[in-house]
Amino acid sequence: MANFRQFRPDDLNKFSKCNLDPFTETYELGFYLQYHAKWPSLFQVAEDQHGNIIGYIMGKLESSPDYYKFSEHYLPWHAHITAVTVAPEARRLGIGKMLTEQLEAAADANDAWFVDLFVRSTNHKAIQFYKSMGYSIFRTVKDYYGDHSSDPTKSSRILRHAQAHEERRQEGARSGKWREVRGGPE
Amino acid sequence: MSYGRYGRPALKNSVDVQLQTAFTDGNWNTVIRLADKRFKTLKDPYYEAIKIAAESQLDGTIERCTALIAIDELVKSKAVPDYDTVELLEWAARDYLYDTEYAETLGPLRARWVKANPKSKFSVKCLQSCLEYWDLVSAQQIATTLDKAFANSGDRQYMFWSITLTYLLSISPQCSEASKKVYSLLVVKQLERAADITENSEKVESKDRGLLQEEEISLYYRVMLSHGSKEDFVSRMESSKLGPLAQLKEGRKDLFYQALNAYESWSEWDRIYDLCRQALRLGLDGATPTFSVCDYKVWKKFALAASKSRDQETALAEVQSILKEFIALKTNTAMYKKNIALTLLDTAFHQPTAPGSSGNESGLTPRVIQIGLYLDSYFDKLSAFDDVKDFVAELGFEEVKGLMEEVLPKMLEEKSEKSSQVILKSLICKLRYLLTTCTQTLSHNPSVVDGQEHDKPYQCRLCSALITLPCESCLRSVVAEAAQIYQQIVDDSELLAAIPRLDKDPRIDLALVMGNSILKLSGLRPRTSDVAPAPLRDVNPSLFLQAVLVLDTQLKVTPGDVALRLLLAQLYLLLGCASYAYQIWTPLDVKRTIQDSLSPLFFDRISSLSPGLFTGTRPLMEPLRSYYNNSLHSSCPLRIWDAFGSGSYSSILEMTEFDSKLRRSCTLMMSIVEERRATRAFGGKIECEIGDLALTDNIDDTTILLNKTDYGSFVNLESPQGPPIQEFLRIGPELSNERAHLSFLAEQYLDLIHHKPPKDHRPYKPSEASIKERAYTFETLSQLNNSLTSFIHRPTTPAALTSPEATYYTVVSLLSAAVLTALSSTRADPYPAETMSVLTSSIRTAFTGLRTRFTSSSTSSSSPGVDETFYSLSDMHTLSYVRETALAMRHSAAFVQAWNDRELARDRSGKSTLHKDGLAEMKALDAMAAKTVTEVKGHIQKLKEALGQGGWLDKMLDWTFGGEKGEKEEDEKVRKAVEDVVGGREGAEEWVGKVVESWGQGVKGWGLVKME
Repeated sequence: MANFRQFRPDDLNKFSKCNLDPFTETYELGFYLQYHAKWPSLFQVAEDQHGNIIGYIMGKLESSPDYYKFSEHYLPWHAHITAVTVAPEARRLGIGKMLTEQLEAAADANDAWFVDLFVRSTNHKAIQFYKSMGYSIFRTVKDYYGDHSSDPTKSSRILRHAQAHEERRQEGARSGKWREVRGGPE
Repeated sequence: MSYGRYGRPALKNSVDVQLQTAFTDGNWNTVIRLADKRFKTLKDPYYEAIKIAAESQLDGTIERCTALIAIDELVKSKAVPDYDTVELLEWAARDYLYDTEYAETLGPLRARWVKANPKSKFSVKCLQSCLEYWDLVSAQQIATTLDKAFANSGDRQYMFWSITLTYLLSISPQCSEASKKVYSLLVVKQLERAADITENSEKVESKDRGLLQEEEISLYYRVMLSHGSKEDFVSRMESSKLGPLAQLKEGRKDLFYQALNAYESWSEWDRIYDLCRQALRLGLDGATPTFSVCDYKVWKKFALAASKSRDQETALAEVQSILKEFIALKTNTAMYKKNIALTLLDTAFHQPTAPGSSGNESGLTPRVIQIGLYLDSYFDKLSAFDDVKDFVAELGFEEVKGLMEEVLPKMLEEKSEKSSQVILKSLICKLRYLLTTCTQTLSHNPSVVDGQEHDKPYQCRLCSALITLPCESCLRSVVAEAAQIYQQIVDDSELLAAIPRLDKDPRIDLALVMGNSILKLSGLRPRTSDVAPAPLRDVNPSLFLQAVLVLDTQLKVTPGDVALRLLLAQLYLLLGCASYAYQIWTPLDVKRTIQDSLSPLFFDRISSLSPGLFTGTRPLMEPLRSYYNNSLHSSCPLRIWDAFGSGSYSSILEMTEFDSKLRRSCTLMMSIVEERRATRAFGGKIECEIGDLALTDNIDDTTILLNKTDYGSFVNLESPQGPPIQEFLRIGPELSNERAHLSFLAEQYLDLIHHKPPKDHRPYKPSEASIKERAYTFETLSQLNNSLTSFIHRPTTPAALTSPEATYYTVVSLLSAAVLTALSSTRADPYPAETMSVLTSSIRTAFTGLRTRFTSSSTSSSSPGVDETFYSLSDMHTLSYVRETALAMRHSAAFVQAWNDRELARDRSGKSTLHKDGLAEMKALDAMAAKTVTEVKGHIQKLKEALGQGGWLDKMLDWTFGGEKGEKEEDEKVRKAVEDVVGGREGAEEWVGKVVESWGQGVKGWGLVKME
């Protein structure tokens, strides 16, 4: 059973079900609090009946600095998924999908043009999961994970999902009101 | 002001290059000379400030204080200071300025400056600076000034900063009680006014002073809940604009929850029912996304509220009807379907016709059928047991029989796949274990039957055995059955191949059921009071070791299982194998943020169990120390300015509360105290007195220290009617406010009696210094004694301590009084013989009790199969506190003696030396403690010798599996089940090696501990 809500700092004391899992990274306190402080609606948790956190998603809203505006790497205002995790006992119930949908709703409410995330090129399961939610591979970044990565390709895929705002904008671009966006599905 | 190299502020652009360069390079003498010259020439006070800032960087004590003096003068002058001067002085005084001083000096200066320059771009910097020092009074004044200055500009941010800070001030200790009332009223009125603007406007624009954003409305809800009346809150929740339902339509779920939680706290069930009903209808109508309303919490509250309705039947029918409509939705995800299934189950338990637990009706009630239906769909999910546990524990006995004897066996028959069968069988095993912990499976048995008295107060209704708690017969059956299923899996390659595709390896569940059952059979019980014996004293060692062996064997097969690791780490600590427990704990990778809630699971009392662990290459507590230092380095909550900048008002409140709780964490105190004890144990130097640490700065006797240990990852098979599993596994009671305070106070006492002035300390006026030292010592001892006595005598304290801890803190408390009495009795004064005698005899009595516990545990044996070594190795905690207590006595006596010697050296007349009877009493305590310390040393030596002898493999295997001679028939059944799972005695040999090696390492560590 699960309840979904915004993260509260006290949840950090109930993270064991997620963060004792070896695939979930534990960050410094300031990292979690930064997300809670700046983008509270993009930090969502799923809790069980005892208040244990059984899944969470952390996201942020950002764009490239203005001086990048004419670069091909310029990123307009968008949401970025920094971390998603679901406790082993709560997997295969669609919790990851629901957390992502809630983040997308928050991104929409903040006029984000799209949502993106990075995923290891070798993490086919995750890539498949996001594709099933309408994400597509936008770009592959070589050597993203550096020399210490166990992944032989060391590359990361950037996946993107257009948000309502982006769809409206593309509509506008088609009708000549807005300029064409760079990039797009690979 | 920007900052340059080494964090030095950049000077004003108007300052010449020569001075700029000298300042940037840190050539302070040059800066002083040049700034002085410029000041004399230009008469610009800014140059004087530069000179002062440079002087403050010099080594001399007086020079260092110049910035503080300058700040003081600015405060007194009442003039509006120059902004750059304030910035410069704040930087110069940064290392010497405490938060309280800031609130009296720079905070008001900045507030004064902002008042004079409200529209300056630096005003916000002033606010930020006040927040960095957590000076809420000045911050609130600045925010209010900014709000007034920008009231008509359409910048709503300042208005909400002002409201948020007024609220924070109204609940802060920085505010007097009288002011708190004023600020509370003010903040409520401000928000009510803003709410009224929203209510009365057709559309609130971003320039209006109404409530618009979710964070603003959240602030309004929180403040109204905290400072407003219930009636006001309830009436405002009816609003069609700001009410929770209207906000839910906007996708603002958090506000909906806030209202729901408030109603629940007031037991406003009709309102909860209405709110949930309307919210769920919104979900059905598509007016709000399903994820906004389909939480289990909403369903559960809805069903509960319906069951409390006056027209219960209609209300519950409405619940069912809405549930059916949701079931029909095609868009439901697996999680929502599960929530709905659980709500159906929940609703069955709220039906008015649900039978009581003692009814004689058929066991196949709607409740049982609903559990069956739920399990039929979800039995293979990892959380299935947790989902139904509380419901099963609530069933009546006939219902239990219906479930276990009809529903589940039938379900088992219907499963054709082998893997499904074993999963269901292991779930049934867990439920059977659960039922041994439920009261409905017991009936009271008359204490006298046929004129014969007996000691079995209960009869198990499942197996009819006469029992004391728990039912051992049922537990043995559970072990045998679990072992049989376990073997079935191990022997079937098809099943083994299927395991990776399953939600969870059923062998883990089966091992946990066996382990838990055997632990219960061994007699392991929660130790929740100071009178409880040593952890394994009343435990059947053979069964205890078997339980550990089963779980350890499983961990080798499934090393990634967190629950097994947590359980085993605790069990090895109980067994005295701390180094092996640490090996098991380490892969859990408890680091950074989760340390505060998880570290106590391993580190609580660790210095008393195995100080040797502290001798590793990396300091054991370093990660914890570094976490607290990083997170609490400033008095300002981490990242709070980010929240102000982003307009996250609810985050500001939550982060402030979290910060306050983190500063009061029992884990923080545990980490400090454990490290200090270990440092002392190895004769290391303690750098700083505990009371002088920045991390303990705000802790006094009134501070409530909080235990936030996270037990969420333990597999708890116990019923909610009894204690959870973690209470069975701990050495003693969990972290608590009482224990944390006592440990803090005891460390302060030890700091006092261990204090030695620096060798080069030569007071200018020795007799004056002596008077001051005397006053300080007396005052500190008196305060410590009062505090220790007060905490020890709290009614909740006995349940918070182990017996050795209780004795230690009692003795320390008495010692503080005895030392104070001895120091206050000079030869010239009448000797308080009676007081001193009461104190020292109380110390002796308490210490003798602890010593007896220690010596008896090392010389007796309660189990014929196990020798004294087993009990000694598993009770190093008692030994540790015997040592700590004895050393506290010895050091107290030495402190008194040294005091007397100093007085004798200072005052040759001998008048101020201590009374000989007081010295004699302290010496007697010292002699008693010295004798015990020798015993402790001898005891450790004996353990070392015992472990050095050969034959441990056979000895341990005999302890574990019992000599066949004299083994009870029922124990044999369990032993054989265990042998089957672990591969017999041969399969246990490697494990024996690890256990004995770990004992050896523990004793080796104890051998290095100083005994003086």
